[in-house]
Amino acid sequence: MLHALEGSQAIAQAVALCRPAVVAAYPITPQTHIVENISKLVADGKLKCEFVSVESEFSAASVVLGSAATGARSYTASSSQGILLMAEVLFDIAGMRLPMVLTCANRAISAPINIWNDHQDAMTVRDSGWIQLYCADNQEAIDTTIQAFRISERTELPVMVCVDGFVLTHTLEVVDMPNAEQVDSYLPPFTFKNKLDPKHPLSLGTLVGPEYYTEARYSLHRALEKALPEIESADADWAKICGRASGGLLTVDGPESASVGVLAMGSVVSTLTEANEILPGKKRVRLMKLRAFRPFPAEALRQACAGLKELIVLERAFSPGCGGILGTEVRAALAGMAKPPAVRNFAVGLGGRDIPLGTLSKLLDAAKAQGNEGFSILDVEPERLPPEDR
Amino acid sequence: MKQLSRGAFALPGTSLDFKTGTWRNEMPVHTHWGAPCHVACPAGEDAQAYIAKMMEGHPKQAWEILVQANPLPATTARVCPHFCEQACNRKHMDQPIAIHLIERYLGDEAIKNNWAYPVDVSKEDGEPVCVVGAGPAGLSAAYHLRRLGHPVTLIDSLPEAGGLLRTAIPVTRLPRNVLDAEVGRLLKLGIDFKPRTSLGRDVSLEQLMGEHAYLFLAPGAAKSRHWSVDGAVPSDLREGLGLLKEWLVVGDIPKPKSVAIHGGGNTAVDLARVMKRAGVADVHVITASGLPGPDADPKDVLNVVPREFEQAVEEGIVFHAHRTIQRLLMRGSKLVGLEMVHLKKLPGAGGRSSRVAFEGTETVLHVEMVVPAIGEVVEPQGFENLLGHADYFKADPIGQIAGSDRVLVGGDARGDRGTVTAAIGDGRLAALAIHAKLTGGELPDPKRRPFIDYDKLNVNYFEPAARAVEPMLALEQRNDSDEIEGGLNFAQVTHEIGRCFSCGNCLACDNCWTLCPDNAVIKTVERAADGSHYVFDYEYCKGCGLCAHECPCGYIGMVSD
Repeated sequence: MLHALEGSQAIAQAVALCRPAVVAAYPITPQTHIVENISKLVADGKLKCEFVSVESEFSAASVVLGSAATGARSYTASSSQGILLMAEVLFDIAGMRLPMVLTCANRAISAPINIWNDHQDAMTVRDSGWIQLYCADNQEAIDTTIQAFRISERTELPVMVCVDGFVLTHTLEVVDMPNAEQVDSYLPPFTFKNKLDPKHPLSLGTLVGPEYYTEARYSLHRALEKALPEIESADADWAKICGRASGGLLTVDGPESASVGVLAMGSVVSTLTEANEILPGKKRVRLMKLRAFRPFPAEALRQACAGLKELIVLERAFSPGCGGILGTEVRAALAGMAKPPAVRNFAVGLGGRDIPLGTLSKLLDAAKAQGNEGFSILDVEPERLPPEDR
Repeated sequence: MKQLSRGAFALPGTSLDFKTGTWRNEMPVHTHWGAPCHVACPAGEDAQAYIAKMMEGHPKQAWEILVQANPLPATTARVCPHFCEQACNRKHMDQPIAIHLIERYLGDEAIKNNWAYPVDVSKEDGEPVCVVGAGPAGLSAAYHLRRLGHPVTLIDSLPEAGGLLRTAIPVTRLPRNVLDAEVGRLLKLGIDFKPRTSLGRDVSLEQLMGEHAYLFLAPGAAKSRHWSVDGAVPSDLREGLGLLKEWLVVGDIPKPKSVAIHGGGNTAVDLARVMKRAGVADVHVITASGLPGPDADPKDVLNVVPREFEQAVEEGIVFHAHRTIQRLLMRGSKLVGLEMVHLKKLPGAGGRSSRVAFEGTETVLHVEMVVPAIGEVVEPQGFENLLGHADYFKADPIGQIAGSDRVLVGGDARGDRGTVTAAIGDGRLAALAIHAKLTGGELPDPKRRPFIDYDKLNVNYFEPAARAVEPMLALEQRNDSDEIEGGLNFAQVTHEIGRCFSCGNCLACDNCWTLCPDNAVIKTVERAADGSHYVFDYEYCKGCGLCAHECPCGYIGMVSD
């Protein structure tokens, strides 16, 4: 059934459909509406779950760590500084192989403080061992949230569903909200083999010395690699139920003959898709939506890039002193191809700077000027800085 | 090969797979340090040990620990200056533990309940030893020799044992029933006590040497030092100790309108108080020493039990500190007053400072009587050859003298002692030395053990708590017969015991056991070899030092591994 819903409300309803046993979260813009709506569902008796109000994101993450360890389906959400404050616990959750879902309403990182959208928060915890899935619109946000619980519980890895702050969380969109029967048929009750149980005591987060630590980390790496097909099948299976796919690991759009490709993550893909239809005086590009950033689908990416002469990686964050994060990883992944495309790398729309339809055209022009190893911020205006700081 | 679980979950016991002991570069060890109270006690009492036993709820066992060193605890609790309390680490937090009141409680309980010394009286397989002088040193030596199985003959020229405890200490400080009970209990250990037997008069040194393997001489110091002011002496001069002894036996004391007592020891203060109570209106004590006080140099204060000084001031005794008598003012042979002068310290030869009169500070004190109480020397009685012309015996710390290898000396006769407690310590060391010589064992080591400083304790585990206050007779209730200071009741003693830091010894608080992050501290049901209830499992101890840091008592220390 179609509804015109605010993104946050849609996500909250999707979470409720997944019947979480424990939700713990601390409010932070632009995530606040999500947990606010969940708490309302709990207060109204529409969702039976333990909603734990906490005093910080560190506590929120710690609570869901504990609840997941007892075998309870657990959910939290945060953003920006909240994600950073959770960082230590995020690594713990992944290292302990505790299944759960977190919605990251992507937002820029301080300082300077900025509440608007980019991807720096999620990018900063990319090495935490969490699966990261990026959503292009609110329908994907709903479907990916539901899929995330299945992926997480099957792989025993936590999943971070990344939705762009404000752009998705605070905008109304016509979405198709699945019904409880659909979700229940897709997502079985959570049974966790290693749950804490007084009858069968075990310790979590114990000390592991040099003699086993390497293997512990290796097993986490392997677990993420093995999650790749699980992400694809989760999407395919959900598509069988509701008729919609969210894009597996990555999707390709645009003419197959195109020699120029553009790769991006999140809601900017929706903008680029529209811009690609109306590209004035230019050939349409092969547009790639990367949905799974962790695990990184290197093989799928190489296949998607076959025949391309040039690939422009557009991202919403960067690593100061190095350049693009996504761009660097794409370059590394394509280096193994027989004829890799030249990779151009741009950051755009940092801290909520608008990305209008004209961005694609501007991007194609800028790519011609950029060298093969380059990285630039497409919409930076250095003249706004004192000369010595440009 | 052991396989890691998913998420590195550990099943019960699996953390034992990680032998964290290999990380260590420092290891914790238990060290039983001397507690300051123990190290400071001249008699060798281990207050920490008997307080710990009391804490466990075993007063009789506590008393048995006490009498392993000192057979007369009810007595010393009353007359000792309590070096233990002066050393007590608790003084850095609030006030020292009232150790003497705990000692007194145990001593009095033993008398009340007729507790027997933990000594096997039937054991007499040693060599005969003779002890000369039944004062504190002699009694202590006789006791320890009996404890070690030696037949002991104890001789004294007086009809009763006790020495100066009986002849010179007022009953207001040491009731005679307490002294009688402790001395009586001691003499019943199969000691052959011969009263009214004077060395030199009734028996000779040679005779005793012939009949005994060893001799312990503890004749005390009973002869008053010669006293005059520039050669002048009132014709009716009486010495302080003589007056005190006479008062104790006869009950009579001179009652001039005013008196000046010259001296800074217990004799001077005891006599001043006796005379004040007898009705002497003005009692002055003139001493070269300073008075006890917060800023006083401990080496410069009166050699008096501090609370005795306080009580004397309460009772109206006037002290003239850092002063000496420069001139006697006489009318004919009768004293009408004296001229005092301040003393100042000047650095003298060999780094020792000497006191000289500070010209221009002379003051006149009108008194009818002056009594010297400037100390006593040994009266040679039958051992003239050993003493020579010296005032005191020169002996090594365990009592051995140059003149004879079968005679040991202790107590006031040494000249470097001066307290009942030190005399009791001398008796014990000499007994141990004689036993060692007789059995070919090792001589006792009188060196003081290193003790543990306050800063080595973790006092965060102790609450501030005020020292228990002993009952004291009000000024107007004090007389010549009733004991002035009282003891604590059981509740007060329990409170006082709870204040002990247990310096340097395990308090069994479980901190190390609870806080060890590696389960490397194992709690034992029985006492471990080192006397504590904990052992370290060095296979898992990674040397973090948490146990040492959180040990309240300084019992755990980290050493390089």
